Amino acid sequence: MTVQLPPTTRPRLDGARPEPDPRSPLPRLDRLFDPLSFEVTAAGGGIDVVVARGRVEGVPAVAFCTDGSRQGGALGLAEADRIVAAIDLAVREDCPVIGLWHCGGARLSDGIEALHGFARIFAATTAASGRIPQISVILGPAAGGAAYGPALTDIVVMAKGAKMFVTGPDVIRSVTGEEIDAEGLGGAEAHGRRSGVAHVIAGSDDDALAQARTLAALVGDRRRCDPALVAEAEADPRRLLPDNPRRVYPIHPVIRALLDEAGAATFIELQADWAPNLVVGLGRIGGATVGVVANNPLRRGGCLDSVSAEKASRFVRMCDGFGVPLLVLVDVPGYLPGVGQEWDGVVRRGAKLLYAFSEAVVPRVTLVLRKSYGGAYIAMNSHGLGATRVFAWPEAEVAVMGAESAVGILHRRALAAAPDHERAELRRRLTEDQRRSAGGVERGVALGLIDQIIDPRRTRAHLATALADAPARRGRHGNIPL
Amino acid sequence: MKFATTAEIVGTVLEVFARPGDRVARGDTLGVLESMKMEIPVLAERTGVVAEVMMAAGCRVAEGDPLVVVAELPAPSTGTAAQPAPTESKA
Repeated sequence: MTVQLPPTTRPRLDGARPEPDPRSPLPRLDRLFDPLSFEVTAAGGGIDVVVARGRVEGVPAVAFCTDGSRQGGALGLAEADRIVAAIDLAVREDCPVIGLWHCGGARLSDGIEALHGFARIFAATTAASGRIPQISVILGPAAGGAAYGPALTDIVVMAKGAKMFVTGPDVIRSVTGEEIDAEGLGGAEAHGRRSGVAHVIAGSDDDALAQARTLAALVGDRRRCDPALVAEAEADPRRLLPDNPRRVYPIHPVIRALLDEAGAATFIELQADWAPNLVVGLGRIGGATVGVVANNPLRRGGCLDSVSAEKASRFVRMCDGFGVPLLVLVDVPGYLPGVGQEWDGVVRRGAKLLYAFSEAVVPRVTLVLRKSYGGAYIAMNSHGLGATRVFAWPEAEVAVMGAESAVGILHRRALAAAPDHERAELRRRLTEDQRRSAGGVERGVALGLIDQIIDPRRTRAHLATALADAPARRGRHGNIPL
Repeated sequence: MKFATTAEIVGTVLEVFARPGDRVARGDTLGVLESMKMEIPVLAERTGVVAEVMMAAGCRVAEGDPLVVVAELPAPSTGTAAQPAPTESKA
């Protein structure tokens, strides 16, 4: 279905062809959808929001766009109601809804009605949460309610120059005396690294729209995993790990090696620079979308901590809500100890991850790459939390703690009593015993906590089979922005 | 503009590679911390010249402690070669 695009600005008096304002909705929607694939379902009538329906990467989707060329995109009740109608339309059609935001907040002339309008958007977004994927693209300022609207959705993409905040620099200066510009307060650095509000930081408007397209197509795709698309054996992904177990490494090459190759978009990472010790993102295995949750040893040694647990929790719940299976890659030395962590609520926030995995009904497959210790072993989709399958690479260690640390505690007295020249040898022997009796992967296999030790070269084949064999299920819950 | 690369995790300084005056690129390893029985690299957050090294082997460091100060190189004022667009705003 295609329609003639109506002109977005009045013809100029000199008769020249009008240049559409790049901040107006139609050019932006035109760049979002597949070429000639969309129809406008609501526009004009003195209401500064345009709604359209079409395809992104071939997947049906609904999108709305505020009008940044008029009053800074500020919303009144009529604009808000049109956005609510767009969300409801996407729910009826069971397809993703993409919101393009350029909006200074509530339209002051509409007074409290405009606030009511925002409240209605929040309620509609929440009602649709977990039922349809909701993606927000921030293409300019998104202030006040226009920050919270996107924040309630599943994924927030910020274009270069986009800004999100509840109260702007002027109000902050007058109330707290803090001096900061809009970019510093609510730009890419603020929300990409510090707050975690933004899931994707894009280089330009076009890049932001392209990322939203890819994400909508990934999350909105319900294809099942087809093991026939995966080679039986491939290059050994374990070559990407260092030989020395104390050395760290970036997890991203490992993730990419385990996902389907799909041009540049093998793996789309979410919240990449926030809590980078734990990586979450979307890709495909056997043609089907999977959500990846992976420890990243390069950062903080791959420890779980308060913030990363919360990051993973929200992602797991999003995937579960949309029926996206999970792949959990484990190489974790434990939870990060510290007063700061405890006071930061690592108990409360870590509990969210236990909850999210326990609750999830999508197929969820765990692979222990190298080590998995203590509370972090449990939290990283262990069998006890209901994992569909737990695989391990050979020589992986699954234990309460590393053998060396365990010996230090269990044999403290014996080590202290040993003559100085024998202590090192005793420690070495005890550590070896400990590793054999409690640390090695064999014990996990014997107890049924690890289903199988797999040949690393056949990892993708094992993952694909496990994902394909599991019943396709989907959680029935919203995706509260944890 | 000077930027401090800080400790991302509590630990003990194992090795220091950076020396004042060294040119470093974002992502270069400036030193190594030991924490959680792991060797965790201290990665340069900015490209520039090392102005100050504030860590020494054996030191205990807390999360957030400044370890190495890097002075960003001023952009060349002349030259026609294409320059990559800056990808980051100031911290």
